[in-house]
Amino acid sequence: MTALTPPAPGAPHLTRWLIRLHRPALLFWTAVVVTVSGVLLWLGGPLADASAAAWRAYDACQASACRYDQAAILRYKDVYTYTTYAVLAAPFLVAAWAGAALTGREVETGTARLAWTQSTSPLRWFASRLALPAAVVTAGTGLLVLLHHLAWSAGRGRIDTLESWYDPPTFYANGPVVVALALAGLVAGALAGLLRRGSLPALAAALGFTGLLWYGVQQAMPHLWTKATAVTGLPPTGGGLGVDEGIVTATGAHVSNLTCGNSETDDCLALYDKFDAVGWYRDYHPASHYWPLQLTATALVLALTALLTLLAFRLLHRETGLRTGRST
Amino acid sequence: MTDTALEAAALGKRFGRLRRSAGWALRDCSFALPAGRVCAVVGPNGAGKSTLLALAAGLTAPTEGSLTVLGGPAGQARARVGFVAQDKPLYPQLTVAETLRMGGDLNPGRWDARAAERIAAGGDLDPKARIRALSGGQRTRVALALALGKRPELLLLDEPMADLDPLARHELMGVLMSQAAQHGTTIVMSSHVVAELEDSCDHLLLIGGGRVRLAGDIDALLETHARVSAAADTDLAPHTVVESRTTGRQLSALIRPAAPLPADWRTGTPSLEELVLSYLRNPEAKAAGAPAKSPEESVA
Repeated sequence: MTALTPPAPGAPHLTRWLIRLHRPALLFWTAVVVTVSGVLLWLGGPLADASAAAWRAYDACQASACRYDQAAILRYKDVYTYTTYAVLAAPFLVAAWAGAALTGREVETGTARLAWTQSTSPLRWFASRLALPAAVVTAGTGLLVLLHHLAWSAGRGRIDTLESWYDPPTFYANGPVVVALALAGLVAGALAGLLRRGSLPALAAALGFTGLLWYGVQQAMPHLWTKATAVTGLPPTGGGLGVDEGIVTATGAHVSNLTCGNSETDDCLALYDKFDAVGWYRDYHPASHYWPLQLTATALVLALTALLTLLAFRLLHRETGLRTGRST
Repeated sequence: MTDTALEAAALGKRFGRLRRSAGWALRDCSFALPAGRVCAVVGPNGAGKSTLLALAAGLTAPTEGSLTVLGGPAGQARARVGFVAQDKPLYPQLTVAETLRMGGDLNPGRWDARAAERIAAGGDLDPKARIRALSGGQRTRVALALALGKRPELLLLDEPMADLDPLARHELMGVLMSQAAQHGTTIVMSSHVVAELEDSCDHLLLIGGGRVRLAGDIDALLETHARVSAAADTDLAPHTVVESRTTGRQLSALIRPAAPLPADWRTGTPSLEELVLSYLRNPEAKAAGAPAKSPEESVA
């Protein structure tokens, strides 16, 4: 550090100091991603193989008392559940950090104002606060989702108790929606931190927003792609992501009813009579709809994230604004 | 380079438009500060001093009116403006040396590492010490080093000396003054302790109740005001009375003479503190000091 080598005039090195200031968070995130990735690799490799072998032994056994490695089956199932929830927790982890530490604490303690009175505009400062974390979050969460998908796929057709593709935790931990949700959590946290209510309320707001958004995505998910319909003479069963089910009347009309199935309670029998039921129908998404659903939901969450980003920039611009500037 | 470092026209800032506590922190402020001056922004707590400095630093946008900083709208000259906030925010997890290195990285092309290190070194600061371990006065020193290291043309200091001991205060004031003298830096510093600024400042901006009460060259302001004593029944017209008090048969007043004063009055030049206190005690006294457009006018 000498005066003899002045930095060449150019862009301020905002990113270098972002990394320095959030080094503990970056190390923690790296540790989390590395650990969960390691466990997922273990899950998809040795654990899946052991569980599959145990299932093979169990399925081949005709005797009343069978010898098979039950511990291996349970281990795969337990580790699968833990890692699935670890992957699903990523958006909340990111949102909490972004709300509390990324902008909230800086605004609260005044260091944001310190940064804004260097040779950097608040908008550039905010852009640097979003860009690198967004890349790190995308890379980390993306890796986890990919490895989770591989670990889940490793059990397909081999492990009888493997979660179906439409089991909600599996569905989300297996696809890019979680990455988009993590980015939404990041931006929501950064925006909440700018609102000058303190870092703790910002943390709570970011967590709440991410939770609500996820709930909204779950509600919307079945309707994000055209559904398939199965009409049967038998009560509806079968896999796939359910949308709706009910009875088919003599005229071929569908009457939605999620409770009756093939129940023969008085209420249900009355219903069948009233509509002259001749069969059942079930609206659902088959496995082939997995990617369309995932990608549509991801696109929607990313669009919302972009909107939030715009909102945050506008807020900051208005607050610190250059009214007479070129932009609006 | 413009002649006016800071110029406000009908400047107003209202906080919390939606909240019930909504109120104007500043209203209808017009003044001009010639470049190269050392200006004291004086006023009671809550007068709007910090708001004015934050507006000048481009940290917040005016609600109405305009504020021109170094010839452009506030916020467009960030690289040329230094700012030290009242609570001296710094990143607690960085060391002193890192903080100064960050100053260099965030102010490319302007940073004077040697000057910044000299200011920090003056306080026997260990460069490896973390900011969170420093005393209030040491943090002030680092914050000043950071602000001066970027070689600002305009330096905005909000209560800069509040938590410094007399020795450090004297030394750092000396650093500021030599900066102003060497580089022609315009310095604007706020305080509610007038005595703190009296020796170093040559320009005054008195703010009370969110309005400019007095603005101008300190010597000129003192010259245009007079402390007078006369018989109790004296009519002070046509002079502008800032404050008057009758004790027994004696009338003491601080006035802005509009004409030569009668010879039988005892007159004196007020001190800066007397002047400031008189205006603050009498909110209804007419604001003095028309917005100066140039150094020549403001001195006149």
